[in-house]
Amino acid sequence: MNIDTRKRELVKELSPMLEKSSLLSKIWIISLISIILVGLYAFILQLSNGHEVTGMRDNVVWGIYIVNFIFFVCLSYSGAFIAGVLHFFETPLKNSIARIVEITTVLSLIIGPVFILLCIGRLDRLYYLFLYPRIQSPISWDIIAILTDLIGCFVYLYLTFIPDLAILRDASKENAEVPKWRKKMYKFLAIGYQDTPTQHERLHKIIRIMSVMIIAMAIVAYSVLAWIFSLTVQPGWNSSIFAPYFIISGLYSGIAVIIIAMYIIRKFYKLEKYITKIHFFAGGVILLIFSLLYGYFTFSEYFSRWFSHKKHDVDLLNTLFSRYFWQFIFANYFGILMPIAILFFKKLRTVKLVTIAAIISVLGIWLNKYLIVVPTLETPYLPIQDTRAEFVHYSATWVEYSLSLTGIAAFCLFFTLILKFVPAIPMSGIIDLEKRKQLKRKKDNQLATEL
Amino acid sequence: MKSNLFKYTKITAFLAVLLFSINSNAQEKDASNYDMSFEFKTIKQDDNSRLLEANFNGKNIEDRKDIIPMFNAEIKFFNVLNEEEVLLGTAKTSKEGIAQFTLPENQKYLTDENGNINLIARFEGNDAVAESSAEIIVKNIKLALNLEEIDSVKTVLVTAFTFDESGTEIPLEETDVIIYVQGMFSKMKIAEGTISEGAFEFEMPTDLPGDSNGNLTVFSIIEGNEQYGTVIQKKNIKWGVFQKQIKENQNTLWSSAAPVWMYVVLTILLVGVWANYIYTIINLFKIKKEGQDIELETES
Amino acid sequence: MKKNKTEEGGTDRRKFLKLGLMTSLTAIAGASIVTNLAAQEEEKEPSGEVIRLLTPEGKIVEVNASNINKYPEALITPAESRIGIPDRKFVMVIDLAKCKNARKCVEECQKAHKLDDHQEFIKIQLIQNHEEGEPYWFPKPCFHCDEPPCVIVCPTGATFKRDDGIVLVDNTRCIGCKFCVTSCPYSARQFNWGHKEKFDDKSQPYSPETGVPAAEGTVMKCDFCPDLLRQGELPHCAKACPMGVIYFGDKNEDIVTNGEETVRFSQLINDRGGYRHLEHLGTKPNVYYLPAVNRQFPLERGFNIDEEIVERYKDVPYVQELKKQGKI
Repeated sequence: MNIDTRKRELVKELSPMLEKSSLLSKIWIISLISIILVGLYAFILQLSNGHEVTGMRDNVVWGIYIVNFIFFVCLSYSGAFIAGVLHFFETPLKNSIARIVEITTVLSLIIGPVFILLCIGRLDRLYYLFLYPRIQSPISWDIIAILTDLIGCFVYLYLTFIPDLAILRDASKENAEVPKWRKKMYKFLAIGYQDTPTQHERLHKIIRIMSVMIIAMAIVAYSVLAWIFSLTVQPGWNSSIFAPYFIISGLYSGIAVIIIAMYIIRKFYKLEKYITKIHFFAGGVILLIFSLLYGYFTFSEYFSRWFSHKKHDVDLLNTLFSRYFWQFIFANYFGILMPIAILFFKKLRTVKLVTIAAIISVLGIWLNKYLIVVPTLETPYLPIQDTRAEFVHYSATWVEYSLSLTGIAAFCLFFTLILKFVPAIPMSGIIDLEKRKQLKRKKDNQLATEL
Repeated sequence: MKSNLFKYTKITAFLAVLLFSINSNAQEKDASNYDMSFEFKTIKQDDNSRLLEANFNGKNIEDRKDIIPMFNAEIKFFNVLNEEEVLLGTAKTSKEGIAQFTLPENQKYLTDENGNINLIARFEGNDAVAESSAEIIVKNIKLALNLEEIDSVKTVLVTAFTFDESGTEIPLEETDVIIYVQGMFSKMKIAEGTISEGAFEFEMPTDLPGDSNGNLTVFSIIEGNEQYGTVIQKKNIKWGVFQKQIKENQNTLWSSAAPVWMYVVLTILLVGVWANYIYTIINLFKIKKEGQDIELETES
Repeated sequence: MKKNKTEEGGTDRRKFLKLGLMTSLTAIAGASIVTNLAAQEEEKEPSGEVIRLLTPEGKIVEVNASNINKYPEALITPAESRIGIPDRKFVMVIDLAKCKNARKCVEECQKAHKLDDHQEFIKIQLIQNHEEGEPYWFPKPCFHCDEPPCVIVCPTGATFKRDDGIVLVDNTRCIGCKFCVTSCPYSARQFNWGHKEKFDDKSQPYSPETGVPAAEGTVMKCDFCPDLLRQGELPHCAKACPMGVIYFGDKNEDIVTNGEETVRFSQLINDRGGYRHLEHLGTKPNVYYLPAVNRQFPLERGFNIDEEIVERYKDVPYVQELKKQGKI
């Protein structure tokens, strides 16, 4: 089989999703943009009126912005982690989902930190972080970790894009339909990659190294994120289990989000051939493993607090089991047990049910993070004595919700736009796989003839 | 000069009252249900000068806790003997209602045959506020404070004399004296005693820190005595055992410079990661170069 | 020697104050002090501290304290305020037996720091040691910890610990990340959530030692009033307390005072069983408490205030009990 013709075939097969904009996709994009515009208005409102427009007050100074921050950053770290693992171990299933994972990683790593910016009172002084740095502060560590990780993920994502960009460049050369700017862009970004053996080898060597690097960085960055909470003395936060707990819960949410993304992309772009049932099955198994792990960590965390019943821990648990009863039940019982119940049975690991389990997991994780951040702040060592309801209990305002939705919308929008530029399925990966198969077949044939 | 300026006081005050009674925001109120209270005391200070202090307040007739200080009232201080009145000086009350005037050490006083000085503080009064005055009679006194180490015991020695007409010293008898040390905000009482035969002796506690040099300021004070008023004497001495409470804590979690190991770890991590990034980018350039070479070849 | 200096500083200031008054008098020739002060009063906004004075004309005038207190503030710049007052180590002792929730400390502190109604640098909490214990009033300023969690986590060094033990916030450096608020176990910090008119009042230049004017999007808290300490005066709360609950002083010279009574700090702490709140957290506070034994006032005395304040303590079980019985 000629590799070049196969490449052209693949481009033909996968490029419709790059070219046409269906009515559905137009509606999709417009609705995303309108959500973002509302969010933009909310942001301007917050910028001009100050944080008064949020539900945050002196006791609960961190609200759903921080929850979203943790959620997105965890998501990105887990994306990096999974991408790294996929590449490093050269798993056969990786081809179809590697790009989804990588895009998820980078997008959430861009959107996540925006939420912490929303939480900062003086955005005009943000550069003070670099002007007067204090490296004892976990926030400084987090900034360093996020920035380093962001750069690393960009580099990594780019590396994995290069072969595909080269294929697209070659394919679009003679194609008059492809606009000129796109051709130029492909040519520039493909940096003269011709898939020669030396180039191929060199590229794969650095991708491998970067994938290891990214796994290591994800672990560090996760821990630093968890330390923002666990290094304080607050009940509910000061827990040595937090760093691994955040890693597990992050991976859990990451896998769940990837499964959801897989489902949507598969449906939307009709990629059933590439994203197969087996992917969902495997995803379901991994999700099951992580939901068990996550459930175990959640149980350990709350069980030790409940069992040792230190006064301030008990106060926190009282808050959780009174005001936050249903949220707690949903996040930490339903959100963990339900996915386990679905995924435990082999028969139930269908495309739809796995996706439903993933959705439940994502909601559960988000709520779990909310229950880590807010109730602790509502239950300080010295109980709040105030008459103003908004200072006693936190409830997010429409501004906060709108900006949270904007985060999700921006995530979806960028995802869609990136998929308009490069296909969701890495073509080079398919070709590599086929090459390898060919090679194997040849070898087998040789072996057979020799025998 | 000042009296000049205040010539028209009454007229302007009247005008002001008129104005403000029209103005609904008038911040003036009549003080008719306030009783005037006028107190006068004298303090002989450690430099032997004498401070005259009058305290002028209005007290609400109904609510005795409601006290308003009299502000900017001119108080005159006199030394009186029989019918003779000598003006010592004038002072205006502060916003706390206090007027103070200091007489130098060499001030000559009119004294009666027992050596008593008769002092009067007076607010002369006007149409609105009646005259108020207070009188005190004090004897001049010489209070001396000596701090000595006697047989390695740190001892505070207080001596006090009055003078008869001829100027000979007469030792003080049965007079309460209090010993203080100066703190940052106030004086701390360390002993109370009675002067007899003109002297009082007291053993200083040995564990007072004093200031950063170990200096202590010791006061001996006769407070509000009927015959002598308040008399203050003070002295500095290096008897303190100062120990700085703060240890020099450099490079802690809360100091401006972080613990060294943090810098080390952070540097190692960052150098490791960035070295890898640079390595990656160098390789990318190599790939690019190869691509360019191939392109050139195909073109040629 | 240094003590003398501060004392002299104090008298100098008083002298200057008097001088200022005299000149302001002479400035408006022929005008009485009433018109003088009242005219100034009109220019100023009615907000701010108002004091009442009697005049020699037998009138009571209400004047803005800032009109009288017009002395050039020795401005301590943010950079200078990081150093602290040399050779001092400030400490506060709060005698819980004497507190009756008179709230004078809160009010004076709010006036001095230009705080709003609900912004309290010193809060008075109603707490119980355990279920059997009767609740007591617990004035809670910032504890100015020796191991301050807030300072540790600050990413820009906007909050800092000085050599004299005081923990201050420099709101020109603060980026408003609120990490310090979440890491303080004593809820001592407040955040400026929105813009307020008073932030624009630049008549008094900003100093971390006064915390005035505050700024939007930054953190503030109890500062132990270093501006007063420099003048040899007690912090506003200690000065204002009618019961002499709050002792303040220098641990180095081992002397604390509540304005009336001056005692050895070490003796006070050791004789009366002084302790620090939540000692087990290891923050090493510089505020000590004397236990609420042999209380001078019944608890109910502290409820003799407006309903809004009473409402605050409604979640304390004992208060619910009292309310049921109709005692408050």
